Amino acid sequence: MFSRNARGLLDFTLALLCLWTAWHHTPAGALVRRASAWALGRHSTARPLLAYYDGVSGTGVSAPTLAPGTPPLRPFTDGEALAYGTHLALKGLSPKARAPAFALAEELGVPPDSLLDESRGPAAVRKLHEALAKAFPQEESRLTALFAGRVPARYAVERVAAEGGTPSLERLARQLPPGYEDSTVAAAQALALATAFGLAWPVPESAPVTSPFGYRLHPVLGTRKLHTGVDLSVRVGTAVQAVADGTVRRASEDAVNGRVLIVDHGRGVTTAYCHNSELLVRPGQRVTRGELIARSGNTGRSTGPHLHYQLELAAQPVDPLRFRARSSPLVDGSAR
Amino acid sequence: MNRSPTADRPEGPFTAFSRFLGHFRWAFMPLGLLALIAVGIHAAADTLDDRLLAVVDFVDAAFDRLVGRFDLTAPLVDLLSLERRTFLARALALSWELAADVVLALPALGYREESAPQAPSWRLPQTPSRHSWRALLVRCLRRPTSMRWIRPLATALVAVAGACTVARLVQGTVYLSWRELFGEGVADGVARGLALAALVGLLWRLGARAVLRNLQHADEASELHARGFARALAYGLPGSALVAPLALAAALDASPLLSFLR
Repeated sequence: MFSRNARGLLDFTLALLCLWTAWHHTPAGALVRRASAWALGRHSTARPLLAYYDGVSGTGVSAPTLAPGTPPLRPFTDGEALAYGTHLALKGLSPKARAPAFALAEELGVPPDSLLDESRGPAAVRKLHEALAKAFPQEESRLTALFAGRVPARYAVERVAAEGGTPSLERLARQLPPGYEDSTVAAAQALALATAFGLAWPVPESAPVTSPFGYRLHPVLGTRKLHTGVDLSVRVGTAVQAVADGTVRRASEDAVNGRVLIVDHGRGVTTAYCHNSELLVRPGQRVTRGELIARSGNTGRSTGPHLHYQLELAAQPVDPLRFRARSSPLVDGSAR
Repeated sequence: MNRSPTADRPEGPFTAFSRFLGHFRWAFMPLGLLALIAVGIHAAADTLDDRLLAVVDFVDAAFDRLVGRFDLTAPLVDLLSLERRTFLARALALSWELAADVVLALPALGYREESAPQAPSWRLPQTPSRHSWRALLVRCLRRPTSMRWIRPLATALVAVAGACTVARLVQGTVYLSWRELFGEGVADGVARGLALAALVGLLWRLGARAVLRNLQHADEASELHARGFARALAYGLPGSALVAPLALAAALDASPLLSFLR
């Protein structure tokens, strides 16, 4: 096929391709880039090493940082949640990375600046989603189209279809060449935020919050620690329901968390339920939104009956109240 | 008189350039093999992080149950908080990948091609006969060791995954950068063609050499250290056990070979 004399060039080209891929797409390559940047006294552009394993990763801000300061005034529909999540993710992007979304907005007659506006932004973003919905019915591919552009998104969808399987954001991102990292990160952030806005509440809405998320003096240890969830005052035996569809990742008991459940809802969203008296599901089991998964209790390191409810976005704990429409009473009680 | 059909032709600039590059094979071939294997290992490791998280969850739950039984050890439950498990799973995936790089990719740096008197220097089986494919495979069958079988097989599987990753990047880069210049149809056709060519070329030119080099390395190590049944089984087993799951993941989850034909 190739004349023997041409094989020197062929082998050189192929070796160069492998080196280019390894340089940009492997942690080992990142290590070498960091070491060479250090040796030359330059700033390395390599991603953090562990970011090579979170599916979609880049140098942008993380989803928890983008969470709104105040909770929504009313519950969102699915479309509104997606639009609001997209609006927040757009705000966290660099001006250069916003270009595809701004171009689409201009094409649709939506003022690009309105996408970032606090009050008009979610409605403006929703128009973009509606315009893309026909060509990209799935949320993952639609968000890729919005943040990376329609051509790259269509290409990625076709490639994933050729490989077989569902077009998750991780698989779509894998099809895109270097240069689209920030877009795929923003799409993942938007999806995680939208999913968090759509979560139900695990116990009756009326259950008061007795210890909020944030740093506090631990009631048992007496030291200042981050309280990574909210404590909801409920009686022992209160039904604990899944806040969204998901898979039980852990159902166990220990001296600190008591009987604890962890449910993975996909799209970078995980919830945990601690101090239960009874666990009603097993690891690996699929659960649906509203399904009874546990009964609350007072097990583990606890000073009274309550449910510790924890929400994690991209493996970082966030305040669940920032994603919940503010309709139930908050009580400033003693920390549990 | 048998003469090569190209013997009388003057050497063109392309051939001269190719020949010139051929003088540097000692540098770029080992690095290319190393990179191909490293890319394949990462493609495989990237598919394992969710499963690692499940393992971390399971082990952490068991550990917490154990230490939580006694007042003295109960504070150890806090050692791995709920939110740090993901971090740990990714750190494990990274360590696993780097260790697999050492076991599978580093031997590629020992790749050498030796010139034979009557053949051009770029030709593959110019190594002494005891290091030829045939001689190595015969020893694999007659004096099997875990290293002789597992390492080359694992190298083959991760090399395929690596070739798929490179081909995928070639296709995406060519399609998205050429579409504006040459139009949809041309860019798509060229991108598909180049991706397929890259895939075939990598498997043919680098993949086979990566496997051969690993086979040579495993053979040398086995000859030196793995005499007798117990040694044949045990020598290099930890390294082989480390790379075997990654090789399996590479074959099952990271090698969409047929997708380049669709």
